[in-house]
Amino acid sequence: MPEQITVTVKLFASMKEAAGTGQLEVSLGAGSPAGAVWGHLPDAVQDLGLPKATRYAINQQWTLPGAVLRDGDEVALILPVSGG
Amino acid sequence: MSALRSGPLDTAAALTAVVSTDHGGIALFAGTTRAEPRLREVAAIEYEAHEDLAEVEIQRILDEARDRFGAIVVAEHRVGSVATGEPSVVVAVSAPHRAEAFAACRYLIDEIKDRVPIWKRMHYTDGGTEWIDGTGHRTAGQPTGRG
Repeated sequence: MPEQITVTVKLFASMKEAAGTGQLEVSLGAGSPAGAVWGHLPDAVQDLGLPKATRYAINQQWTLPGAVLRDGDEVALILPVSGG
Repeated sequence: MSALRSGPLDTAAALTAVVSTDHGGIALFAGTTRAEPRLREVAAIEYEAHEDLAEVEIQRILDEARDRFGAIVVAEHRVGSVATGEPSVVVAVSAPHRAEAFAACRYLIDEIKDRVPIWKRMHYTDGGTEWIDGTGHRTAGQPTGRG
């Protein structure tokens, strides 16, 4: 059995609304990249689809979807922004 | 100082904050929410941020503008509900001359809109809502034009 890690996933905007919460705990295999959290999100979130331009942040630092997660990390899915 | 505000933005205070006797030009940009009655009339726009990351990113953009243009800079962005006609974002800069002031002002607003993790949710007068976040997620209402 591969070692499991638990990360906190932060969701915003429509994904937060679909999940009914802005924060979820997700368990996945050690060595998983940030982008892998998508497949562990509730169906209601996945039904929205993942926009191509989505970015990732780990522990409030921009990163790439291939960045390896560590146990206890906070990973945020940053949908295409629309401020201003 | 925090750049995210849950209450009204004070454009006059932003302008005052960048006044310098070394600088001969001040530029200010305020982005205000549009009603768009000919498309689908907007009642208000709600702004949501990844607040920690948004603060960091706005400070980074302010630092870049200071370094590039030798400007004194401030920027504030609303979170929460903003009525039509009210400013949702304000940037103000002063620089030695007008060319740098305009350039720094433009740089700030363009980079903020492009990079800072803030999303808007349209609240229409027909009762519908729509997140502008690339997912196309919207809730019911009676669309009148855009569909």
